[in-house]
Amino acid sequence: MNNRYSRQELFSPIGRDGQLQISRKHVLIIGMGALGSGSAEALVRAGIGKLTIVDRDYVEWSNLQRQQLYTEEDADKRIPKVIAAKKRLTELNSSVVMEAIIADASVSDLLDWAQNVDLIIDATDNFETRMTMNDVSQKVGVPWIYGACVGSYGISYTIIPEKTPCLACLLETVPLGGLTCDTAGIISPAVNMVVAHQTGEALKILVGDVDSLRNKLVSFDLWKNKYSAIQVDKLKKEDCPSCGKERSYPNLSFEKQTKTAVLCGRDTVQIRPGVPIVRNLEMLEHLLINQGGTVQRNPYLLSYTMDSHRLVIFKDGRVLIHGTKDIAEAKAVYHRCLG
Amino acid sequence: MNKVLFFAHLRDAVGAESLSVAAAGKTVAELKAELSAQYDLPRMETVMTAINEEFASNDEVISDGDEIAFIPPVSGG
Ligand SMILES: [Zn+2]
Repeated sequence: MNNRYSRQELFSPIGRDGQLQISRKHVLIIGMGALGSGSAEALVRAGIGKLTIVDRDYVEWSNLQRQQLYTEEDADKRIPKVIAAKKRLTELNSSVVMEAIIADASVSDLLDWAQNVDLIIDATDNFETRMTMNDVSQKVGVPWIYGACVGSYGISYTIIPEKTPCLACLLETVPLGGLTCDTAGIISPAVNMVVAHQTGEALKILVGDVDSLRNKLVSFDLWKNKYSAIQVDKLKKEDCPSCGKERSYPNLSFEKQTKTAVLCGRDTVQIRPGVPIVRNLEMLEHLLINQGGTVQRNPYLLSYTMDSHRLVIFKDGRVLIHGTKDIAEAKAVYHRCLG
Repeated sequence: MNKVLFFAHLRDAVGAESLSVAAAGKTVAELKAELSAQYDLPRMETVMTAINEEFASNDEVISDGDEIAFIPPVSGG
């Protein structure tokens, strides 16, 4: 037993059969920040067959304290997270089929990506995407694992369609806009603890050991030394609009999809064009240089600084406007620079 | 009496890990509203509740001796 997975095969709940199962599975990770980096590394090292990673952002210096896949060079060059992650992950295990997608996870995207996967891991930073993921999971019949953290606190819960309550069953009022993420900061052990809970459950799902799943919502505070696991079985609601008998998947409806979003803790507004477009960044660079200000470009995005704002323009048409939390102000800057 | 436990930012807002409160006969929603007003707790309607380590909905009635925990569903990742 000296192959690269020998120690995992010696662990009897996985064994050789489990390892074979893992090598045939496809996991989708939404978000490649701290949680996504941790889960992706764990699954790639564990020998997952295929991994699809999705993120809309690029690497920044403030990420390096906890986002384990990224380097100073990635931050310096503002490399999109999934591109930097894929490079690193391929170095860790070249036999894994890696798919890297730079995008904002829209409803239609998520429905599309979820079709061919065995599991979705939540590593996003907002409830809008999570609720979409929740309904996609129910509609397509794929399990997903909620995970989130802030400060020294973290939380995780595994949703198995037709079996456990879904996230909509648990949340009577969805905390849109996010809770405390922009003020409380985050320490890496809280990230790692959530990742451990998510990837632990993921391995059980991938080897088909459903009886070993936790079936509890876990939350902890590493600084205050608190740990709680609460029973949720009786919360499955017959009339839940996402998983109940007469479900309507409210989080997949068009009205729920916003075109602008204030990014958590970033003093940044994202604007997504209503219709899909592809931007020619090279042409745009020439155009913007003529408008004054400074332009920086890599193959994936263009960064344009003028006055107190910085615009980051992606090929898929998305634009991040740094230096404001005000959507109206962001739109004004957007239209001033890009027409 | 009831022991009420607070997690994450709620603990900071209350200034204690737990409180002893007479909550018997009240619903979860009523207790939330009361504590929210008393300690200026933000967005309590979004916070999840456990009674004796079991998930409880807003209309569940609290009994004497029940241990209540408030668990905020955070979004950071
Ligand atoms: Zn449900």
